[in-house]
Amino acid sequence: MPTDRLTTIFELLARHERTGAEGGALCSVAADLTDLSGAGIVLGSAGRTMTTFCTSNNAAQSLMDIETMLGEGPGVDACSSEGSVDEVNLPTAHKARWLAYTPLAVSAGAGAVFGFPVRIGAVRLGALSLFRNEPGTLTETQSSDAYLMSSVIARAILSFQAGALPGTLAAELEREATFDFSVHQAAGMVAVQGSMSVGDALVALRAHAFAIGVPLAQLAISIVVRDIYFDPNSDTWRDDLGSES
Amino acid sequence: MARESLLIATIVELADNLVDDFDVIDVLTVLSRRCVDAIDVDAVGVMLASPGGELQFVASSSESMRILELFQIQVDEGPCVDCFRDGVAIVNRDLADSYDQWPVFAPRAIAHGFHSVHSLPMRLRGRTIGALNLFRSKLGLLDKEDVALAQGLADVATIAILQHRTSLDAKVLNDQLSYALNSRIIIEQAKGMVSQATRSDMDDAFSRLRTHARNHNLGLTEVANMVVSNALAATDLDS
Repeated sequence: MPTDRLTTIFELLARHERTGAEGGALCSVAADLTDLSGAGIVLGSAGRTMTTFCTSNNAAQSLMDIETMLGEGPGVDACSSEGSVDEVNLPTAHKARWLAYTPLAVSAGAGAVFGFPVRIGAVRLGALSLFRNEPGTLTETQSSDAYLMSSVIARAILSFQAGALPGTLAAELEREATFDFSVHQAAGMVAVQGSMSVGDALVALRAHAFAIGVPLAQLAISIVVRDIYFDPNSDTWRDDLGSES
Repeated sequence: MARESLLIATIVELADNLVDDFDVIDVLTVLSRRCVDAIDVDAVGVMLASPGGELQFVASSSESMRILELFQIQVDEGPCVDCFRDGVAIVNRDLADSYDQWPVFAPRAIAHGFHSVHSLPMRLRGRTIGALNLFRSKLGLLDKEDVALAQGLADVATIAILQHRTSLDAKVLNDQLSYALNSRIIIEQAKGMVSQATRSDMDDAFSRLRTHARNHNLGLTEVANMVVSNALAATDLDS
């Protein structure tokens, strides 16, 4: 591994921790290092559900939500691809590639998107998803930095988990990641409200968040604090006062 | 087979093993047999250290070699034991001259028909993970090139094993992470369901899940799973 680039990565990670900046450190540093508009890390692989580990900003979060909701996109593909995945001009991309993802990602502000596997040899943890607001390819430096970062991410995540009690998530992992557990709590509530499975509730939540143009996490919190609920009789979402939300 | 191509062929064969079903015993058996073919020795054995640090016999080119390797471990004496402990090669040691050093092992090896022994460390970046042992029946010495070739083969096997171990650890950790993450997600979903069904807050919902798990001697994840899959109604939880 190129030592000086690694040193830069660790310096950036340390700085992120010191300044208490928002977004997971690994994601933010990935975006910084590659000089791109945003980054997200997703955990999962063939046969495992995909979970967003962290994102570097709101736009990255929206793009990650789109990918995990649709099961389509650069990060999703990179979870099982051999090398990196990219679409350097998303607005003009061949639609058949990511039929559902492309228009939503373009509306969310992505011009170019890139996915890098996060893995250690044959062991696949997930992927690093990067985007730029403007279309364009990655330079060689950006590409090799992204590969290096993916490697650091894999080792960091596993070393966090190595310190955990069996069956539990490591505490550092929970701090480092911005797993969105409120989304799952909300799904549980909606499942009971609408007499549906939790899986269906998750789909309904994501669909509604997009329909009303709010981040999924925001809708989830509104549900958890009981500002919004799902009314099975009218098959609609209602607010506290009974009007449609 | 020319020496260089033997090394290359062995590397290629070992590289083929660097997949999920890597079998350490296979790899080391290949190594042992290649050594006997290429170098002027009559028996080769390999020992690896267990995670606890004790030497264990792993592979050999013949049954009598296996017996001698096991014997070294049993009596904690012999070229392999010394080589592993010190991380330094033992080359062209005449067994007849080794009674002081290996009072129990030397006569036993001679009884098996061997005259000289060599033990090469399997080392990478300061870590000794085992030793490659070569026994010879004829008199005379192994030349430098033989020793270099054997060490080369040992080095290749070491790299293969260490790479495989790293990815094994990674696999285990990744599986643990996957399980832990999944459990956590299911628990949060169950909390949501219980909170809605019993009109309580999330903390209360969590307490109900834990109380029920404790009372019925079940795991928390198990109870959460039952709630999420509707095998257990949220309203049926102990509170």
